[in-house]
Amino acid sequence: MKNLKTIYITLFSIILITSSCIEETPNYYQFDGYGFEKLDENGGTWKTILVTSPAQISISQPEATSSAAYQAELTNLKQQMSSLTPKEKEAVKYWTSNPIIRWNEIALELAAKYNLIPGPNADGTYTLPNAANPAGPPAFPFAHPPYTSRMLAYLSVSQFDALVVAWHYKYEYNRPGPYRVDTNIEPAYAKNELPSYPSNGAAIAIVSKEILAVMFPLEGAYLESKYQEHIRSLIHAGINVQSDIVAGTAIGSEVVKLAKQRASTDGMAKAQTPKPISDSIANAAFERFGWKWKNMETPQRPVGLTPLFGKVRMWNVPTVEEVRPGPPPAPGSAEFEADAAELRKFASHMTISQRRIANWWEDGLGSYTPPGHWNKFAKEAIVKAKLNPLRSARVFAYMNTAIMDAGVACWDTKYYYHYPRPIQTITGFKTILGTPNFPAYTSGHSTFSAAGAEVLAHFFPADAAQFRARAEEAAVSRLYGGIHYRFDAEVGVAQGKNVGTYAVKRAKSDGAQ
Amino acid sequence: MKKYLQSIVLLTLFQLWFSTLQAQTPWDEVMMGKGEICTALIYEHSSWDQYWEGSYLRENANIGTFTRQMGMPMVAIGLTKKINIIASLPYINTKASGGTQAGQSGFQDLSVSVKVDWLQKQLGSGRLLFLTNAHVSTPVGNYLSDYMPFSLGAGAPELGFRGIGGYKMDNGLVFRASLAYLWRGQTEVERDYYYEKGSVYSSFMNVPNALNFHGAIGYWAFDNRLRMEATYMNLNCLTGDDIRSYNRPQPTNKTEVSQVGAWVQYFIKSDQGFGALAYFNQTLSGRNMGKATTIGAGITYQFKAY
Repeated sequence: MKNLKTIYITLFSIILITSSCIEETPNYYQFDGYGFEKLDENGGTWKTILVTSPAQISISQPEATSSAAYQAELTNLKQQMSSLTPKEKEAVKYWTSNPIIRWNEIALELAAKYNLIPGPNADGTYTLPNAANPAGPPAFPFAHPPYTSRMLAYLSVSQFDALVVAWHYKYEYNRPGPYRVDTNIEPAYAKNELPSYPSNGAAIAIVSKEILAVMFPLEGAYLESKYQEHIRSLIHAGINVQSDIVAGTAIGSEVVKLAKQRASTDGMAKAQTPKPISDSIANAAFERFGWKWKNMETPQRPVGLTPLFGKVRMWNVPTVEEVRPGPPPAPGSAEFEADAAELRKFASHMTISQRRIANWWEDGLGSYTPPGHWNKFAKEAIVKAKLNPLRSARVFAYMNTAIMDAGVACWDTKYYYHYPRPIQTITGFKTILGTPNFPAYTSGHSTFSAAGAEVLAHFFPADAAQFRARAEEAAVSRLYGGIHYRFDAEVGVAQGKNVGTYAVKRAKSDGAQ
Repeated sequence: MKKYLQSIVLLTLFQLWFSTLQAQTPWDEVMMGKGEICTALIYEHSSWDQYWEGSYLRENANIGTFTRQMGMPMVAIGLTKKINIIASLPYINTKASGGTQAGQSGFQDLSVSVKVDWLQKQLGSGRLLFLTNAHVSTPVGNYLSDYMPFSLGAGAPELGFRGIGGYKMDNGLVFRASLAYLWRGQTEVERDYYYEKGSVYSSFMNVPNALNFHGAIGYWAFDNRLRMEATYMNLNCLTGDDIRSYNRPQPTNKTEVSQVGAWVQYFIKSDQGFGALAYFNQTLSGRNMGKATTIGAGITYQFKAY
């Protein structure tokens, strides 16, 4: 029985020890708040994307800091700051001095939440998500990679434009922040000389809430609660008074109108075609090339994913045809057979490192998609470089427009060539990743990734090699996963890189360099 | 009728030496004497063509019929008459009849149990029994828990503590109930972001802790050589999320299952020799699990080491 006691004590100790070495599973990026590397005083002169010029949006001249109205706001701010609840303090810490990061994370979270493919009905038919009836079932949207790339592009572009306009008025009116006016106020974030009227935080909050509510219509209440928490945190952090916030939201609201207008006419509403159109696209490819992709699921999905996403309006590339690559090798050709043999070899002799790469880059159903993965890289690079919100928004705006353009270019290519997937061409082929519901050539992940890498390499030259290496790894991961041939991936990388350079060229001439 | 059934069962088993040595599981009341060792090799075949997505029972033609086969070597050692050690290491193969997803195969988790006999007290026309079983298991090899439903296991260490109470009547009837708390650790997956009621930025998933109940009514026949049991098993994770709509399961899911079954085991009656066992389980209800039908059969070999 003595042995027994020892055994149980040992077991109990194991429980204690293992409990203490549990890894954290955080729900957002935990980083220390930082002071901005610079303020970009001339940020108001940068070229905007949706807004013609800052003068297009006007806000009233702010009250002087000596005015009774301003002093009353200041008193109110101090009152609120002196009686913060623990939850309010936590919110201030969460939102940080760069709330672009948080709204981007919220966007990715919603992408992952809605990235669920509708299953078949009992009679074997499929019902597609419908914007007119978002509750479904199935719920709208299905936040697949093209949808998510577009959602992120509109979010980031709106944030960027709103901040350029905010910066313009900040340095036009030069009203100092509350803690510059009253030195008794101790702000929650590192002090700086950024004028606080209009509030950049409020501008970010309103555009983010509004754009995401358009993209995820069932999330209005959730977004509203995030918005309210963010707005309150601006006063609680001691960085904005109420009139700063009102002016910031006024700018944001105007930018949202422009974004909504563009989004409603960019062609996305027609991207998911009815079956007759989808069939005619497939038949056109068959007549041109002698092959066509088909969905291999049971029951078969009648229409591939967004056959006309390739017709959606691009941001930085004038016409999609100029970034469409040449045809892939025909099934049965020697080049095709070599690449198919390579896939069979990977499938039967998968190394641990290949498996890891396939899974790390999976970004499949239920995840934030490949565009989401690149937003995570951008976020980490932004925090590491201590970029201010305006410069952060600029990185996201150029990267996400490049990524969406890459998606459009890739989808155009996919449905133009209508190339079958490995599970269709290789008899009995089994894969470790799920094969998506759209043609193979070119690889979406490769194209998205190369475009994202090209833009990040431009903004963060010290890490350029790393970003490009990641894009190459993302591309080859699809071979290990068994869902793409090498030519899908290699041509996809070249295509994405090409699309990315259009965004880089535009960024080079926006006045921020 | 009972005699007839007994003979049928007997006939279906191997011709074996008789012994009082006994093979055992971590949830029963069976103990072995000091120095006795029982090795077993068990084959199990489990399949389902419906599964619960949350609490919704559905089919999925891209899985079709899902089959899980297991070969499990097992050893039980009588350290003393009151303390036994049980170890097992299953080899598992999974595959689906539909769809294009690859199945998996490999060794799953090494499990070691320490079973202690605390109480054997004559009470009325039977004996009151109380035992405990503490176990620890850990994944071996490098199977990936994130390939659900194809993954071989949850990929996390598990510590469990089980109390086993029973009443074994002199006429051979046994009533037994056992309850275990299963503490599960984390499993490392190969992606560093996943969704579990929200974003999670980690490559670790918390596998939910669970309560596990076993109940049995059994009968020992032929001078304690044949054991027959009707069993009930229930496992409930205490936390966790549901499989999302038409999405795949993941190790964070709140799994629940209850099943009924039967167990037949034939023991030998000498110092060494072969025995056999067979069992059947049918899942009745569940959550985030396949509605599985399971059959298992095994041979045991026992000997006295010291």
